[in-house]
Amino acid sequence: MTCREAGPLLHARLDNELDMASSASVDVHLSDCRVCAAQYQALQNLHEELVSSDLAYAPGIALERKLADRFLGEEKSPRRLWNWSWPSASVMAAVAIAAVVLIAFLPMLRVSNTDTLSAEILDNHLRALQAVHPVDVPSSDQHTVKPWFQGKTSFSPPVPDLTQDGFILIGGRLEVIHQQPAAAIVYRRRQHVIDLYVSPSTDTDSKIELHELGGYHLLHWTQNNMSYWAVSDVDAADLRTFADLIRAR
Amino acid sequence: MDTKVRFFELTMWPHMRAAYNLARWLVRNDQDAEDVVQESFLKAFKAQESFRGSEAKTWMLAIVRNTAMDFRRRLKAGPAAPIGDERHEPEDDSPDPESALIAESRREQVRHAISHLAEEFREVIVLREIEGLAYKEIAAVLGIPMGTVMSRLSRARNLLLVELGGVKEVQHDLP
Repeated sequence: MTCREAGPLLHARLDNELDMASSASVDVHLSDCRVCAAQYQALQNLHEELVSSDLAYAPGIALERKLADRFLGEEKSPRRLWNWSWPSASVMAAVAIAAVVLIAFLPMLRVSNTDTLSAEILDNHLRALQAVHPVDVPSSDQHTVKPWFQGKTSFSPPVPDLTQDGFILIGGRLEVIHQQPAAAIVYRRRQHVIDLYVSPSTDTDSKIELHELGGYHLLHWTQNNMSYWAVSDVDAADLRTFADLIRAR
Repeated sequence: MDTKVRFFELTMWPHMRAAYNLARWLVRNDQDAEDVVQESFLKAFKAQESFRGSEAKTWMLAIVRNTAMDFRRRLKAGPAAPIGDERHEPEDDSPDPESALIAESRREQVRHAISHLAEEFREVIVLREIEGLAYKEIAAVLGIPMGTVMSRLSRARNLLLVELGGVKEVQHDLP
């Protein structure tokens, strides 16, 4: 590969947008050519600075309220009651039949504990994303985040440094999940936020199970008397990698 | 729950911050950015039947981007908007105020450099480096081919390298 060929590919290489073969040939060129290697290093430094500088502008609370009022409030406005007309007899009959069927089969529809838990975890994750501060202790240093939980929880959650693997620690916060205190460790994968919820559990160790809710992925497992939930809108494969890394620590 | 409300909560609301961020970078002041986000949300809410369950984030951001473009076009008829009402947001408690100050001024320097890029370069930088979108997603938001994404991104990064590498040139307007 010549410098001319490598030039345009440096960006794609940096952004992980190349297939393995092209990636490898760019790497070979970079190890041979000092000029391109220096250029690549400069691009990488710029990229890292941009990603880590927290350049995003955050919306004010007022805007969040306005939007919530406008779109959630609309549904609760009195006008809706006016528009609501009495359903026809056939609809009423259908509802009645559905109710009878539902009551008869209700015991079979027992919602499992993990299903309600996953919904609660997702709600918590979404609320945190919308909050002004998604973390109580903002820090990319595991030695700041881990001690922060001491005295706030009776357990010590693992806070591994996964920067090498592309998961950047943002911080932590304290949550209550199912009336139990839980540590939420917050990581970032590109711009996707991953919440890792950790709480003590008496369950035996379990494998990773995948739940999907409204476009979000949730992974759950139990390990060494701790229950783990990882939730994010990052793609399932990335989240799985994340879970495997946490389990391996 | 009402499906419309559910749509708002699951499809639109999670991308509110990204929507605001993109709008803010494109129109370059807080008030206009808020207006663009509100208008975009209204459009998205009305268009929800046309949402085919593709990527919600790129769908939302495409709407925001088009709304911001319309907004700018309307503004062009009037006087030119001043760049960046660079208000400093209150910072979190920091263990070391001095290093925080340095980091903050460097951050403003970087923001300044990005906000002075031409729109076509600014938007790819914001989508790639700040929102972390993949090339395919950026192409979908901007409605351009992937090759164009790549060439604009490479041009934009090179411009930033020149701007941010030359410390002397940018330091004079630091506070």
